Amino acid sequence: MLDPRVWLLWALTVLVTASSARNPLYGAILLLVAMVVGATCATEDRQRAPLSPLHFGMIAIPLSALFNGLTVHFGDTRLFTLPDWLPLLGGAVTLEAIIFGAVNGLTLTVIFSSFSIFNAVTPVRDLIKLTPRAFHEAGVVLSIALTFVPQTARSLRSIREAQAVRGHRVRGLRDWLPIVIPLLTSGLERSMGLAEAMVARGYGAVSDRGQPLRRQALLALGLLVLLTGWLMVLFRPSRQLIAAGVMALGTLLIGIVVWLTGRSVSHTVYRARRWSHRDTVTLVGCILTLAVSVTQREALYYSPYPRLTAPSFNPLVGLGLLGLIPPALIEMISDRDDPGMSKERTLA
Amino acid sequence: MIHLDHLSYAYPGASDRALSDISLDIGEGEFTLVAGASGSGKSTLLRVLNGLVPHFTGGSISGSATVSGHDPIAEGPQALSRIVGFVFQDPESQFVVDRVEDEIAFALENAAVPSTEMRLRVEEVLHLLDLTALRGRPLDTLSGGEKQRVAIATALAFRPQILALDEPTSQLDPQAAEDVLQALVRLNQDLGLTIVIAEHRLERILPYVDGMVYLSESGDGVVAGSPRRVLQQMDLTPPLVTLAKELGWEPLPLTVKEGRQLVAESQIQTSGSRTHTSPRATSGPLAAQRKPQIALHNLRFAYNGKPVLRGIDLEMEPGELVALMGRNGSGKTTLLRCIVGLLRPEHGEIEMQGTSIIGRATADICQNVGYLPQDPRDLLFADTVLDELRITLRNHGLVDHPPLAPSELIDRLELTEVAHRYPRDLSAGQRQRAALGAVTVTRPGVLLLDEPTRGLDYPAKRKLVQLLREWQDQETSILLVTHDVELVAQAADRVLLLSQGEIIADASPEMLTASPLFSPQVARLFPGTGWLTADDALRGLNDNH
Repeated sequence: MLDPRVWLLWALTVLVTASSARNPLYGAILLLVAMVVGATCATEDRQRAPLSPLHFGMIAIPLSALFNGLTVHFGDTRLFTLPDWLPLLGGAVTLEAIIFGAVNGLTLTVIFSSFSIFNAVTPVRDLIKLTPRAFHEAGVVLSIALTFVPQTARSLRSIREAQAVRGHRVRGLRDWLPIVIPLLTSGLERSMGLAEAMVARGYGAVSDRGQPLRRQALLALGLLVLLTGWLMVLFRPSRQLIAAGVMALGTLLIGIVVWLTGRSVSHTVYRARRWSHRDTVTLVGCILTLAVSVTQREALYYSPYPRLTAPSFNPLVGLGLLGLIPPALIEMISDRDDPGMSKERTLA
Repeated sequence: MIHLDHLSYAYPGASDRALSDISLDIGEGEFTLVAGASGSGKSTLLRVLNGLVPHFTGGSISGSATVSGHDPIAEGPQALSRIVGFVFQDPESQFVVDRVEDEIAFALENAAVPSTEMRLRVEEVLHLLDLTALRGRPLDTLSGGEKQRVAIATALAFRPQILALDEPTSQLDPQAAEDVLQALVRLNQDLGLTIVIAEHRLERILPYVDGMVYLSESGDGVVAGSPRRVLQQMDLTPPLVTLAKELGWEPLPLTVKEGRQLVAESQIQTSGSRTHTSPRATSGPLAAQRKPQIALHNLRFAYNGKPVLRGIDLEMEPGELVALMGRNGSGKTTLLRCIVGLLRPEHGEIEMQGTSIIGRATADICQNVGYLPQDPRDLLFADTVLDELRITLRNHGLVDHPPLAPSELIDRLELTEVAHRYPRDLSAGQRQRAALGAVTVTRPGVLLLDEPTRGLDYPAKRKLVQLLREWQDQETSILLVTHDVELVAQAADRVLLLSQGEIIADASPEMLTASPLFSPQVARLFPGTGWLTADDALRGLNDNH
């Protein structure tokens, strides 16, 4: 199992690279890599997202192509023309606009896949640990929100079924009311139940102390200094250097407050994770891909406008994107070395 | 260990008090059962022990409480969390993270317990609750009983002196409930942990408890003492105790073993006794060979390629009540969902009065088939109980010509007093009857009930049985999925046993006596007689006399 910080870096690398790679060939490589990593690391039993990346892609790509095709009227290859009196839609529907929309959908699917994988492979406890100590409470809230996602999906399904047995049919927006109301009510009931359980387990006994006044004053001062620096950037362009210094000072003061707050949070770790060579391999892979996405921006870019052309492909750039594959290889090697672990995961 | 002195409490905005002048003492290492009907204040009393009442709930409180030398009313739940471990009814509602080990460690991490000590404590509770093999498992892959044991483990992580449990087995099947209770017995006997548990199904837990607290429904009286003394003063008791009270047995038996000893001592003759009287036999003879109300032929269903139902054949006559029993995962709920069209069988036929309903929309099928799912709250969303019934009629286009007037049905469901109240605020029994009203206002010919007695107290169960009999008299066929053998003994005409998707037994309720897994208390007390309920036994014994 990889360190959650490495998984976060992996997901961010996919995000950055997918955002730059408008070339559908590279986008397809990224999607393929994400699917392989997902299939090996984020097995079905670990999924927390209500929608699989495949299903997301099947919706996002055609929808994005359709939307862009109907609303953007640039491009030389006209397929047909919609009447001008149709607001927004009126005009030529071009092959280029449809392809551009599909590429956007592909990019969204790659990004969705990466965060879906990150969400599935990272235990909630590790997500809490990813947040800085000063924001521990926020991390707990976020993790609870994440555990609520699958519960809410299950709840939605059972409420839909329960309403169907009362003869309810969903035909329009108003028909969702008998489903949404119990869903919200049960969500609130569950939240209250969880809050009560957490209080009963002593949660909040330490954090309820609040922030000391001096720290609050320091935070206010830091924000004020940062704002001053920003205003100087806007209104005194001749004093950019001083403005940068003032903004750095403001950031430093805020940083000190965050550090002090983090120090005051009483929290221990049940089992600290140790950095392993697997983490290093994945880290190196991510750095390689990041380097490619930064240095080869032009190669990664593609635009179908004004006339559709075949996207170019550089094998070296494609190879660089494979820097994101190590998590899958590591998982496969682990499974081969320790089939018991694999079996346990499947059973789980 | 626990001392309450003239304690009274009212929830914010409530005119009635939830607890009224409660005084009691619970000694160190005792296993105490808190009993009482829904709304009698059991949960409130438990929440006073760790300060959740009044700190989390608000409201007004008077009198005093001392728990292991601490005052929970003054110190609050966070301070008391080290002394009182608390376990709630629904294990899922109390989990914060997603894996067994992480969940147990969560509270310890937040309390800044040093990691070496934390690991020791986590190991300790994993071992105590027999969870070592499950330590890395995601929580949502565990069974109900396993989840509740994890919840107990998290409550024990602070090594509390007292464990308070609010109906921890009410959402579990009998085997899972037994596992949880055995775990509690081990904790009480091996560690000397003081346990205070609120529970509806007394027959499950009476064999294990040292003391008992009974809260009357009005909340203004408490009887505390040994289980035998308290049971003498309770109206609704398990069948064994009810029978013993009728027969004047002393001391009251708490287990079937004790009951058998009393039977032997009192030299009761059971030979030549008549057997169990079917509920239908008392309400009218079944017409011979009528057209079945509903018929299933060779029904098969698979989930992700794994067979769940393997060739189910079933016919139900009008007015027949069939109980469907079997272990968790045997396919009981899947069968009900196939009948109402929520799942599409891969093979077979379902006929309602000779007409196939396969492929029809759930909403259509449910005009003639009432289906009550396990959690009735999923059905309820309207502002009042009356509105719930009207909405079902509107969904089916029957508002102008309702087969049954909503007010009449509400009357029959004994919900008249709460007809204009918000359904989700009602007691578990009332809520369930409101949901029943919502699915039966179309007057369906077939009624499917999935675990209808889960979380219900004895009075609510008694009302349900009365209702089922009324529906039977009106020729409604009822298919009842349940683990509750006492309910089956009281209400069923026929029992089906489902195992691995196949019906392995289809017989009269007397079949229950043959299996220790499914036999009710009275059947185990008088083996070979065919008696299933306290009424059967009393009638049989009178005949012999």
